[in-house]
Amino acid sequence: MNADTRTATVAPVVTPMISLRQVGKRFGSNQVLQGIDLDVHSGEVVTLIGPSGSGKTTLLRCMNFLEAYDEGEVRIRGALLGYREGAAAGKPRVRESERGIAEVRAPLAMVFQQFNLWPHMSVLGNVMAPLTLVHGLAPQAARDQALQALHRVGMEAKADAMPAQLSGGQQQRAGIARALAVNPLVMLLDEPTSALDPELVEEVLEVIQSLSRQGMTMVMVTHEMSFAAEVSSRIVFMEKGRLVAVGTPDEIVRRPSHPRIQAFLQPWIRRSLGSTSLQVCA
Amino acid sequence: MFDASLIPGLLPVFGVAALRTLALLLAALLGGFVLGFALNAMRQSARKPLLALYWSYVGLMRGLPFLILLFITYYGLPSLGLSLSPFWAAAAALAVYSGAYFAEILRACWQAIPPGQVEAARVMGMSSVQVFWHIQAPQALRLSLPLLANQTVLLLKDCALASVITYPELSMTAGKVVSEQFIYMEPYLLLALSYLAMALAIDALGRRLAKTFRLQGATR
Repeated sequence: MNADTRTATVAPVVTPMISLRQVGKRFGSNQVLQGIDLDVHSGEVVTLIGPSGSGKTTLLRCMNFLEAYDEGEVRIRGALLGYREGAAAGKPRVRESERGIAEVRAPLAMVFQQFNLWPHMSVLGNVMAPLTLVHGLAPQAARDQALQALHRVGMEAKADAMPAQLSGGQQQRAGIARALAVNPLVMLLDEPTSALDPELVEEVLEVIQSLSRQGMTMVMVTHEMSFAAEVSSRIVFMEKGRLVAVGTPDEIVRRPSHPRIQAFLQPWIRRSLGSTSLQVCA
Repeated sequence: MFDASLIPGLLPVFGVAALRTLALLLAALLGGFVLGFALNAMRQSARKPLLALYWSYVGLMRGLPFLILLFITYYGLPSLGLSLSPFWAAAAALAVYSGAYFAEILRACWQAIPPGQVEAARVMGMSSVQVFWHIQAPQALRLSLPLLANQTVLLLKDCALASVITYPELSMTAGKVVSEQFIYMEPYLLLALSYLAMALAIDALGRRLAKTFRLQGATR
């Protein structure tokens, strides 16, 4: 699905799922994000790539306020995230309450590099907990909904297992099921396969791919370039806290014109020569 | 001369005294743990006034010799209109004192829960109270069991100080036998063995509980 045709054919005022305007973030004197403008529309898969320390993960974490951004605005379906609306110019913004932040970020779910399952609960318990505790579902309804989410990632057979008894790939699929079960409008995925043994990467990528085919809106940080090129509507290349280039997989990964992106992708291109048709430096 | 034949005659007196020590320990443990748990909950709330209160309390209790606290509780409080029996004065002082140590144990165990788990819960919409009870507490309390057992052993030995405000627990009983019968080695040996037996039992109980509640599949 292409965002540009979408905005052109539908009404001129489609509120983006996530909208970033001049977002900046400092850790002390270290400016880790600067002047980020990005819109994520419904049905899009936007992938953030770039060298280590370029701010990809920080940017993703600013999108649901796990990191507080310092400058600019993050809006989720139009609602300002993390701060109260209407701050007077020149005055420091007022931080939104815990509950207010939770309300604005409710349409977002997240999948973590380290899975972050709760090890004292079974797989089913992990997926059910947000449904009963946050969404107020009765245990039986939560159970049904959780099993359905586990089915979507092929994990219903492991529903009663404890996280520590699973492989990394299974844990990550459980993590995806937990995120899916609350019916999010957008999934944020932070390097979902980086902590996995190579032979376990594929099963997780397959799940993510099937979600993209079902039209799930996703923002993903990944180092899996082939996969990014395959599933993304748009790819964002970041370096030193800035967006260097935004474009289609063809523009950014398959035929990058930007010399910096070419240099970044060089090792990957060399490795995948022969398997895909890439004419970057030819 | 050490005379082992004296020991059977001492057993009934020591048995009663051991039960008194145990009663004091249980009261102090219950009070100290509940207080420590509440203090840790304040610490985890991350609200500034509660944090300040936490650190003041812990700093004060750790910096204060326990005997002074005990004397204030037993001899000082009556001047403010609160007279406590030796048992309740000792139990209260021990609870107030050990509460700071229990709080620090629980704080450490709460902080041992990987922050990613808390982030996952927050992103899913859980409140900080839900995170405390449903994500952190079940894991942190499991982690804390061996440390709690250790602190309980220390508490057991602190119970001996209740003898100075005339609560007739084990240590006071041993002293009484010494001064009445002019035998030393037998009562003190029995005293040492009584504490040792209780300490070992507490350790075993702690290990047992840790094993019972161990997470399935956990490597620890």
